[in-house]
Amino acid sequence: MTPTAIVLAVLLIATLAWAGYRFQRLLRPLFQAPREDRLDHVGQRLWGVVTNVGGHSRLLKNRYSGTLHLFIFSGFVILLTGIVQAFGQGLVPGFSLAPIGGNTWIALLQDLFDVIVMVGLAMAAYNRYVRKPERFRGSNEKDATIILALIFAVVFDMLLHNAFRVATGTDPSAPWRPVSSGLAALFGLVGIHGRSAELPAAIFYWTHVLAVLAFLAYIPTSKHLHIFVGIPNIFFRNLQPNGVLPAADLSQPSIGVKDVHQLGWKQMLDLYACTECGRCQAVCPAHAAGQPLSPKLLIMDLRDQLLDAEGIGGHRQAADGGSRELLGGRILDQTLWSCTTCRACMQVCPLHIEHVPKIVDMRRQLVEQGRMEPRLQDTLASLTQHGNSFNQSERMRARWTRELGFEVKDARKQAVDVLWFVGDFASYDPRVQPMTRALARILQRAGVDFGILYEAERNTGNDVRRVGEEGLYEMLAQHNLETLGKCSFQRIMTTDPHSLNALAQEYRTLGSTYPVIHYTRLLEELLTSGALKPERPLERVATYHDPCYLGRYNGGFDAPRQVLARLGLRVHEMGRCRENSFCCGAGGGRIWMDDTGVTERPSENRIREAVALGDADYFVVACPKDVVMYTAAVQSLGMEDRIQVKDVIELTEMALSLEPAAVA
Amino acid sequence: MHIAVVVKQVPDLVEELEVDAAGTGLDRAWVKMKLNEFDDHALEQAVLLKEAGGAQVSVVALDGEGIDQVLYAAVARGADRALKVDAGTQEPLDSRRAATALAGAIRDLGPDLVLTGVQAADDLFGQMAPFLAAELGWPHVSVVSQVEVAGAAVRVQQEYAGGRMATLEVDLPAVIGVQAAPQPPRYVPVSRLRQAMASGALETATAGAGAGTGGAAVTQLAKPEAGRGAEMLTGSPDQVAEKIEALLRERGLLRG
Repeated sequence: MTPTAIVLAVLLIATLAWAGYRFQRLLRPLFQAPREDRLDHVGQRLWGVVTNVGGHSRLLKNRYSGTLHLFIFSGFVILLTGIVQAFGQGLVPGFSLAPIGGNTWIALLQDLFDVIVMVGLAMAAYNRYVRKPERFRGSNEKDATIILALIFAVVFDMLLHNAFRVATGTDPSAPWRPVSSGLAALFGLVGIHGRSAELPAAIFYWTHVLAVLAFLAYIPTSKHLHIFVGIPNIFFRNLQPNGVLPAADLSQPSIGVKDVHQLGWKQMLDLYACTECGRCQAVCPAHAAGQPLSPKLLIMDLRDQLLDAEGIGGHRQAADGGSRELLGGRILDQTLWSCTTCRACMQVCPLHIEHVPKIVDMRRQLVEQGRMEPRLQDTLASLTQHGNSFNQSERMRARWTRELGFEVKDARKQAVDVLWFVGDFASYDPRVQPMTRALARILQRAGVDFGILYEAERNTGNDVRRVGEEGLYEMLAQHNLETLGKCSFQRIMTTDPHSLNALAQEYRTLGSTYPVIHYTRLLEELLTSGALKPERPLERVATYHDPCYLGRYNGGFDAPRQVLARLGLRVHEMGRCRENSFCCGAGGGRIWMDDTGVTERPSENRIREAVALGDADYFVVACPKDVVMYTAAVQSLGMEDRIQVKDVIELTEMALSLEPAAVA
Repeated sequence: MHIAVVVKQVPDLVEELEVDAAGTGLDRAWVKMKLNEFDDHALEQAVLLKEAGGAQVSVVALDGEGIDQVLYAAVARGADRALKVDAGTQEPLDSRRAATALAGAIRDLGPDLVLTGVQAADDLFGQMAPFLAAELGWPHVSVVSQVEVAGAAVRVQQEYAGGRMATLEVDLPAVIGVQAAPQPPRYVPVSRLRQAMASGALETATAGAGAGTGGAAVTQLAKPEAGRGAEMLTGSPDQVAEKIEALLRERGLLRG
């Protein structure tokens, strides 16, 4: 072996040994972690890797950052050939990629992608040091800088090495290297060519090799771990329906997560995959409201907790100087209670990190320890005692029907076509009851054969589950399923998207197979079939707010928009619509908690967005909680004269002229 | 330290209450019962004492419909034992009768300290704790908002009108009527409640002979009658004053 080969081999082995050791330390807790089965549907998993990694499907939703990442990523794939070439040459005399095109098309690609990667790096530097988007706040800036510098060193040194080789006049790939040749010509102008280019070529060979080794050694201590962990993390992503939370084993003496080692292996892998890009932070309603939660910082905190617990050193120091406690220490109770479970973070994460299940799992432990604010505790007690969140008697549940003027069928006693699952807010909240009656009148007008469960209906437990009260969720779900099991109906319709999620998705894991729809779907059907005919087109401009649990969770984007179109409304979309809708702030049990620490309510932020459209007369909602949240927001902003909050039900009733409508 | 917590259920006021046909009690068919809020605080106080310095907590209640659930919830909250006392009836007893019915079982249990709620919706005079203390022949303090162990005694905070507080030391054994625990009663997750129910560890005792007797009897129970509405006196202050005087004279409330 040549001395070069020996030095190179020693360096390479040492680096690989170090990196291997780091990886082994990192991965060890995963093999001792609770089981999670993520090996089903391999084809679907692989296809997700193709679209997410190859196609950059989620990354490109942020045009600028996605493009620069694509430049650097694709460059890396191409330049891997250059790295193989460099190490191959050094270790094995006579090694060459020439037989497969190393001196022709591969050389050309290398030369071009050298430049593309450097363009990507320049864009990244501009983004990070000049534009400084808020989403980077809290990320490890130093780490990012080191990585950018190392990538630059790898690529720049490779380019210069190639350029000086071309300048020696002995490189057979020279005709295929336009950029290197250009540089070589420049060197020639200052007299570096032929033999005199050999020394700089050798120097840049070694700086390139050392940069590659440094990069390899640095990665396992950096957020750039995603280079290795990202693809597996996307492959092992959750394929369950969006609306189903992982169950907790209630036979255990303690449920939930209070120690980072109680996370499942995939939940741990998530922590290593995080690149601190902050896309989640940018869309988080709790973060926007000034609350302590940032999904990004939560993942980083969990990761650092795990690294500390494993004794391998966190990427950051703990803020409190190394608290051993996870809950109430590294992660504050208030941080966990800030989450609305709106799922915006999970929707944008390029690595498919699962933030919400982790938060719920930690909330489960808080609930078990009774660590919650008094209002939430009172609400859970009410749900336990009365099956509703309003601390009212079950027998008051159907009281809204009294002022209807006709009897609503009791689905427990009579077979019905549509079983209407009304839900707590639509049943009990005096601000929503008029809309509930309106929907009853609309169904009556359309000749729908419908009935309700009267006092046998219970809260579905959707948000109870998200609060972390798993036992109460099961109790409520079992009661509802027993009641439904004794009824005869074709399908279930819900007023509340939260009930829809529980009935259509969560209850499936308990054996339910009922078809469940949201009322916007039924209205759309009735308007399409002609069972409902708008008598007075509304001819106004509306903007539509997608409720999280109708849209992101259950894909109900189109039906409400079609209803509005049929009512004669023109829909002017807000920037944050459909999958990117911005949560009102009420989900995940937040509606049962107070607003302490909120600087700007998400609902007010949203109303401002709608008013800024300039021409929207109506702010249209399709969730009873939204009626409450946004009516309050418009009032507290004093914008009653600029926009009106209307439920799809109200607008339908106005267009049907069932009631004299007061058009502003 | 062995602490007995005496609990009972009261009608849940989210339901409309109806007087029964006999006119002497509530129509139980429609009444939903729940744990007396003050007893809840007494239980919390006991669990806090247990957590602070170690104690055995026994929760004691008269048998009655739904009482099992209450006792299981207490176990889920941290009580070590749950005792159901059979007084030969499922009907709720007034405090006098309840105290006599429970005294024997409590004496057999042999606690150092008995905690119970300072009052209840059907015991607004707060007679349960004093009656119980009298039956047991132990000292008693009520309207207490904090209990601490002080050697062979307990130090309690007793509240007076105007927000004044007294610190008293009471020799043990003693009976304390708890108005509020230092912190609100903690939440019991349903999973923990179910575990307590699955463990099924309820003990039973029978009230001794002569228990559950004595006291007053309800002769009539009625809803407050709604008034005819207030008559608003309008006019200048002098005119209003004249009208008031005339009204008082008319009703014979003024002399001279």
